[in-house]
Amino acid sequence: MKRILRLSFRNADLPPLSAEFGTRRRRVLDLPLIAWLTLIWVLLWSTLTWANVITGLVVSVAVCLAFPLPRVDLGLRLHPWGILHLAVYLLHDMYTSGVKVTRQIFFGLPHRAAVIGVPLRCRSDLMLAATAVAVSNVPGGSIIEVRRATATVFLHVLDADRPEELEAARRQVWRIEELTVRAFGTPDEIARVAGPPPPPQLAAGRPAP
Amino acid sequence: MSLWLQIVDTAGAALLLIGAAICLLGVIGMIRLPDVLSRSHAATKPQTLGMILVLAGVALRLRSGMDLATLGLIAFFQMLTGPVASHLVARSAYRTGQIDHDELLFDELDEQLTDGR
Repeated sequence: MKRILRLSFRNADLPPLSAEFGTRRRRVLDLPLIAWLTLIWVLLWSTLTWANVITGLVVSVAVCLAFPLPRVDLGLRLHPWGILHLAVYLLHDMYTSGVKVTRQIFFGLPHRAAVIGVPLRCRSDLMLAATAVAVSNVPGGSIIEVRRATATVFLHVLDADRPEELEAARRQVWRIEELTVRAFGTPDEIARVAGPPPPPQLAAGRPAP
Repeated sequence: MSLWLQIVDTAGAALLLIGAAICLLGVIGMIRLPDVLSRSHAATKPQTLGMILVLAGVALRLRSGMDLATLGLIAFFQMLTGPVASHLVARSAYRTGQIDHDELLFDELDEQLTDGR
């Protein structure tokens, strides 16, 4: 007879930190995901009681069973020091560039904008998405398109008149990429972003600055 | 003791006001900037910063652990969902030809898209 619930630390064939559940149609539950959903549930009720925790667990298990996610290894690792570093950098950048955006809005209208492609060093989907989100959150460029095959992000940059502004935008993207991967990436990815930025072979067609 | 509370309250109120002002700047930017892509700059970045400042102001006035965690959750989701929305707007605007290519200094994405065809 099969057991109803199997946990991953007793069964090596299950992915790490998960539980298999059910009798005939067996479903795999991702335990960190359930913990995260329960945490959100408790925070939304904004009181920490046993009733909230238990209903949160029930709801998140039901949600995970009703809308199962594909089984992929995201390659997500949490490095607390790296996350802190990234958060401080993002907040600082938002603050300092707030002044710049204000100046652009009020006085800097005749500037020409441009769309630039910035090749990235990381290859995993999650790191690509996280970098794109982080870049979008700081002033300087907004993401138009992400090429997954070549790991290139395309940015719309407001102040494109001067070549040093463009260079600064590229360097900022690479810096954010490095910080993001250091906050969430696998050791493999971290080693990759420690290297120099990739050569701009994609930007061959643009006029030389 | 009550002096400190007063200072924290005032700082919270000031943060609320600054955050609201920054959101207002974003709206003014949306009116003044010429095209969709530039406007998406003004629509997302000042909004996120203003929102975070407003949340920080509210946090300074509420000062209880659970409320702080909820406010942190709001900030987290704001920073996570805002870029996705703005990216989708920018992408669909670009692909449906809402972009004035003469206004752009140069465009590296255009070469890529035409190469792909």
